[in-house]
Amino acid sequence: MSHDWQPDFEKLVDEHQSMIFSLAFRMTGDRGLAEEIAQDVFLELDRNLGRIESPEHALNWLRRVVMNRSADALRRQRVRGMDLWVEMDENHGATFEERPSPLRSRLEALMATLPSPQRAALVLRYQEGLTPDEIAATLDSPLATVKSNLQRGLKLLRAKAESHLKEFIRGT
Amino acid sequence: MGPEPIDDVERELRQGMLRLPAPPGLKRKIMARKRALDAERTHRRVVFWQRLAASIVLCGAVGGGVTWHNIQERRKGEAASQQVMVALRIAGRALDQMNAQLAEHNVDK
Repeated sequence: MSHDWQPDFEKLVDEHQSMIFSLAFRMTGDRGLAEEIAQDVFLELDRNLGRIESPEHALNWLRRVVMNRSADALRRQRVRGMDLWVEMDENHGATFEERPSPLRSRLEALMATLPSPQRAALVLRYQEGLTPDEIAATLDSPLATVKSNLQRGLKLLRAKAESHLKEFIRGT
Repeated sequence: MGPEPIDDVERELRQGMLRLPAPPGLKRKIMARKRALDAERTHRRVVFWQRLAASIVLCGAVGGGVTWHNIQERRKGEAASQQVMVALRIAGRALDQMNAQLAEHNVDK
């Protein structure tokens, strides 16, 4: 282990801000809230910087904390009865240089409609490329639950995509 | 352009779910909040040490006062006891003299 590694807060922000923001945004669907979560996550990292032992530790720590914070935010919003998924379609693609395919952009929006445990598993699987074991460690969930969430999430996404595309074909 | 087949869902997710660019100014905001928190933490630490130092000084002053008062009391007590001893010595001497005079008087008789 690289115990002599000295964490550089500014460098960690540079390296991981995009990942943290993306995870928070894909979990909450709200740019403002995602930005706020990203700020809070990095400030929490600053408070815990002394305990971070390596770059990998920092990466895993950040992923775990942002997923927890996003889940908390979703829970809070649900309690207040608010629907966060309002701007994914309108703003999400705004900063992309390349226009995504219709299915891809549809999938991003459909992801938003999945239950949050399934969304979390899928986001970590496909955005971060984590294995089910790594997802289980990040979300602090049993492996079987993660695998089940991935399978159910994909199944639900396929079904939703199919029905949306049928409507799209009918509409054209 | 027609829609992609449904079987491509997983492939699209694999290829399409890239990290989004962070909003402009995110790092600046984080660093600004960190600086503010650091300043607040430093201020809190300074206030803590100031309060601790003030408490130590106050405890020292009170302790010193109590000790000084005790010393003064002990000194007063010692002085009083010395005075009592002197008085007793004088009284003893007077009694001795009176005793001697009475003894002389009895012999003369």
